[in-house]
Amino acid sequence: MKQIALITILAAAAFALPLVIGENPYITGILISVLMMAALSSAWNILGGYAGQYSFGHAAYFGAGAYTTLILLTIYPTLNPLICVALGIIAASIIALITGSIVFRLRGHYFGLASIAVAEIVRLSVLNFDFTGGAQGILLSDVSLWGLDLNSKNPFYYGMLLVLVVTLGITAYLRTSKTGYYLQAIREDQDAASSLGINLSYYKNKSLLISAALTSVLGSLYGLYIRFIDTSAVLDLRLSIEIILTAIIGGVGTLWGPVVGALLLVPLAEMLRSNLLGDTLVKAGLVSETSALGIFLKENLAHAHVLVYGIITVLCILYLPKGILGLFRRTK
Amino acid sequence: MSFLQPLLSGILTGGVYALAGIGMSLVFGVMNISNFAHGDLMMLGMYLAYFAFTLLHIDPYLSLVLIIPTAFLFGYVLEKLLINRVINHPHQNQILLTIGLGLIMSNTALLAFTSDPKILTTSYSSSAFNLAGGISISVPLLLSFLITCVIITILYVFLSKSTTGMALRATSQNREAAQLMGINVAKMSAIAFGIGTALAATAGALIAPTYYIHPLAGHSFLLKAFTICVLGGLGSVVGAGVGGVIIGVVESMSSTYLSSDWKDVVVFMIFLAVLLFRPQGLFGNKGGQS
Repeated sequence: MKQIALITILAAAAFALPLVIGENPYITGILISVLMMAALSSAWNILGGYAGQYSFGHAAYFGAGAYTTLILLTIYPTLNPLICVALGIIAASIIALITGSIVFRLRGHYFGLASIAVAEIVRLSVLNFDFTGGAQGILLSDVSLWGLDLNSKNPFYYGMLLVLVVTLGITAYLRTSKTGYYLQAIREDQDAASSLGINLSYYKNKSLLISAALTSVLGSLYGLYIRFIDTSAVLDLRLSIEIILTAIIGGVGTLWGPVVGALLLVPLAEMLRSNLLGDTLVKAGLVSETSALGIFLKENLAHAHVLVYGIITVLCILYLPKGILGLFRRTK
Repeated sequence: MSFLQPLLSGILTGGVYALAGIGMSLVFGVMNISNFAHGDLMMLGMYLAYFAFTLLHIDPYLSLVLIIPTAFLFGYVLEKLLINRVINHPHQNQILLTIGLGLIMSNTALLAFTSDPKILTTSYSSSAFNLAGGISISVPLLLSFLITCVIITILYVFLSKSTTGMALRATSQNREAAQLMGINVAKMSAIAFGIGTALAATAGALIAPTYYIHPLAGHSFLLKAFTICVLGGLGSVVGAGVGGVIIGVVESMSSTYLSSDWKDVVVFMIFLAVLLFRPQGLFGNKGGQS
């Protein structure tokens, strides 16, 4: 109950936030990215954190939502986008069921490996088919829903916020529900869970389906928001890894870990991308703008955010394997 | 076109894949770690061969004499500094650590060598032997295959006859029992990772003359190496060897009879089919790994 109350309070604060910051597309854009990554990582966390099944291919579900929505809207421009979102969920669920039925009978390394293989099959198929736009991707010119101004960013801010709140709500509910206890039992010891009569495959598939469906909704929203998608934006292995990394840094298997991770990582990536970090170093007088190092930083730091992710991943696994929130969690 | 042509090219390329697969399988067997940086280690091997050729003017095949010890040392140190610290961690932490290391390697390469693909052109790059029946064998592919055979033979003798080799196999079979018999399993892990790295870099160097050399090239090789390992049975060195050749042939056949765009899809489908029908692999022991 305490967690539900906290979710409600924070959601209310986030709801009011655009009114405080006013019309600032740049800041709103970053906030949308934060909400999206927090929601993606929370959705992944239901499967990875609570059931202990690390998926390295969540981009497949995100891409399924994004591609289903944009392909349908390209063919039927007048279709209600919400129907597309629903069909995206179905597409993602089919991929999830195929993956789950193949690998959840197996243990250990296999689920991780197979999730990558499935995601790569999806990515390469989208790249090679014609109706998916292939390597060029899909550009959507116009979209409308209930007379909302979908050219502004606010509807998407609230859309992402809604999905995040729903995801956190499901997670909070799962923590104390029968299913949630079963999932955690599976995570801690499959054999013990199985001998107590828990149907391993059923509950793993259930958590995968919930996780994939939420991820696909976020993919659809992203597609409608950016209105341009290609495989490198929505189906890349890098996206899957970013989702996991966000959860790891915040704390895997905690309710708020993914949110904390997104609040740290997304602004950091944005600072690197916009070269804010390089400029700050120069302005602080730490690095001279004309020196070799200064020029190198200016030219390269913007491309280095994946490198920084790599370094953070390594440091996090070595020194902070339970994430930031893991530091405060009571040992069970 | 003759059926034999893609079969032959497939076997030749598959030999090099086998080398990468064996490296990964050895690491998996001895350390029980899925090494997600394996593809990026291959990429580093490609660049080592490229720079040995362009800067030092050493033939890419001769440069192996330099690349193998360098890569072994690199892998050995990497294990001692980082990998061994997660050896008792859950699998997912090991996977994430190696993914992180892979990202560091590929993106450092991206900054240092830019994203322009490099091509290593030797005097014999496009030459080929023409056999009866219109079949031709590319010289660089044949050389790579022959070198692969030599290396695999040396590795086989090393693993089956030498004391260190036997200790490695013992650690692979049962880490605790090996430790009780007085084997320094920590050292064996470092050696296994060193050999794994050397094999990855060698495979990279061997395909460098026939591929685009690119910082992100490791990605597709990583997934291929996993498919080979799972096909052969995770941890089985012989299985990885056979798996490599099978994957090489499958790839070559699907390029010829389907389309080269779909060859990776076919490889991953086989990966899933193996998990579905024979998860222990062709040569693995019964039962999934814990």
